[in-house]
Amino acid sequence: MSIQALDITKKFGSFTALRKVTLEIPSGELVALLGPSGSGKTTLLRIIAGLEFADSGAVRFDNQDITERSARERQVGFVFQHYALFRHMTVFENIAFGLRVRPRRLRPAEAKIRAKVHELLNLIQLDNLAQRFPSQLSGGQRQRVALARALAVEPNVLLLDEPFGSLDAKVRQELRRWLRQLHDEIHITSAFVTHDQEEALEVADRVVVMNEGQIEQAGSPDEVYNQPATPFVYNFLGNVNLFHGRIDNGKTYIHEQETGHVVYVRPHSLDIDRVPNGGDHFRARIKHINAAGPLVKVEAVTDWGALVHVEMPQERFRNLQLAKDEDVFVIPKDVKVFHALNLERSELQGIA
Amino acid sequence: MAGATTLMTRSAKRQVGKTRATTESKFVRGMLIGVTVLFLGLFLFMPLAVVFATALQKGIATYFASLNEHDALAAIRLTLITAAIAVPLNLIFGVAAAWAVAKFEFIGKSLLITLIDLPFSVSPVVSGLIYVLIFGLQGLLGPWLARHDIKIIFAVPGIVLATTFVTFPFVARELIPLIQAQGSEEEEAALTLGAGGWQTFFRVTLPNIKWGLLYGVILCNARAMGEFGAVSVVSGHIRGLTNTIPLHVEILYNEYQFVAAFAVASLLALLALLTLVLKTAVEWRSHQQLAENEPNWSTAIA
Repeated sequence: MSIQALDITKKFGSFTALRKVTLEIPSGELVALLGPSGSGKTTLLRIIAGLEFADSGAVRFDNQDITERSARERQVGFVFQHYALFRHMTVFENIAFGLRVRPRRLRPAEAKIRAKVHELLNLIQLDNLAQRFPSQLSGGQRQRVALARALAVEPNVLLLDEPFGSLDAKVRQELRRWLRQLHDEIHITSAFVTHDQEEALEVADRVVVMNEGQIEQAGSPDEVYNQPATPFVYNFLGNVNLFHGRIDNGKTYIHEQETGHVVYVRPHSLDIDRVPNGGDHFRARIKHINAAGPLVKVEAVTDWGALVHVEMPQERFRNLQLAKDEDVFVIPKDVKVFHALNLERSELQGIA
Repeated sequence: MAGATTLMTRSAKRQVGKTRATTESKFVRGMLIGVTVLFLGLFLFMPLAVVFATALQKGIATYFASLNEHDALAAIRLTLITAAIAVPLNLIFGVAAAWAVAKFEFIGKSLLITLIDLPFSVSPVVSGLIYVLIFGLQGLLGPWLARHDIKIIFAVPGIVLATTFVTFPFVARELIPLIQAQGSEEEEAALTLGAGGWQTFFRVTLPNIKWGLLYGVILCNARAMGEFGAVSVVSGHIRGLTNTIPLHVEILYNEYQFVAAFAVASLLALLALLTLVLKTAVEWRSHQQLAENEPNWSTAIA
């Protein structure tokens, strides 16, 4: 079932959470709403679920207007950030809840409810814990129960609010992959909110980057990472170096002072060498080296006092034998320039 | 041996949440405990003992005779009726008010919270007087009530009203922080799963607040049965008709029937003891529930 949120505006008192946001999610897609806290992503999700109502705008499922319908009538599966499991019910009863509260004529027979719950318990691989209470489960287990509970009512769409937000790194990784697999199996239209760019890029078919109540960019993980539409997206997805710049005669110049343009360079798009190599470059002095991990992270200070982050493969680092306080040449391989005032994207050229 | 003992005391100390740095010397500890015990004995235990001692002064037969007497029985009956009406009313009001305060933002919310506390801050005698001023013969609605032959002051309805007013805060006060702390995520989850308002309340909300609710009800009941001031003003002290247990005790005492007075008073004392036992049991149970809600990592496998 496709989701459309059209021209949604929502205010909380004087704070504008969403301003004229339009989001379309085609049927069967898994979308990540990515943004910093306060960007409006959770509010948008809750408006789609009917837990919050927009001041203006419309919500449609499969082109049918459901703006005025309550959460109960929308038949969405919602997974809450802190799971919101019913604490006085067992895992089994939690999952069965949605079926048990149906009006009598729509309620499945007890045997059918049991079969359905056990099917879901198998899906989340927790069939042996059916009689446990939520308090007796780990965070990852609770999250899976919350998901099974949402799926039990066979919802039109599945909405997840920071689903892995309060889990530790390892469990997070596992659950992420598991959610991706699950979605590949059942193909339910899904949207999840996250502030973790890695999570969004890894799990989602499409990433919607939000900031200050607006959508900055929506696109495939590859698109938003490699072709950021705005400086914000560039900044938010991965680390970046910022320089003041100026475009003159088709060439980009880095400046010490404020100019009309901002130059963005990812740390892995910078190289370091001892000789200028004839290409574009600037000079810097190495201040710190962190060689733990697949990439070596080097911090250097330019002539004019700006801090530059460079990432290079271990092999390259070993060949160069770099040391602290050494003067080197920094060579940009790929830069993006945004106009600082209207944030338009300019054509990339070289650097002098 | 010595090593084992130190280990034990140490772990015992840790259980009460103490470290060596915050532990007082033996002398100070002894003093503090001594003062507390002395105070409790003098002001709580002794009076309680006196109540029962005086009540049973002339033997168990006299004790039961003072209870099994027409006016005493009427007072007991009236007290039970009053509590049976006031407590359920405040249960409903309390849950509704706590729900409204904890879950919604609305204009006048802080005023409502203040008003809920009003019966606590106002003298019970004043609470009684308010009703006399409204419903009494000379009061606001007095003439109208008299014309329609409805008796509120110096009758059972007045006593019930005054008691309900005085005991209003107990349930609401108990529930507001509880409902606030639990948030509304579980209710929202129930809604998205298709549950209606009543289903959500009875299946999700009520089970979550039941111990707090019971606690509030127990305290509310104890106060409803023991209320003196407000009820005294509106009752009119008509023997066998508008006397509750506390009022009956006062009358007997004023008439120098000490044994009978203390015998009836012992009922209230027993109620107090029963309330304490129930209160402790409920507290223990709800703490257990709280502990259950904490993540238990020893049984948790990711």
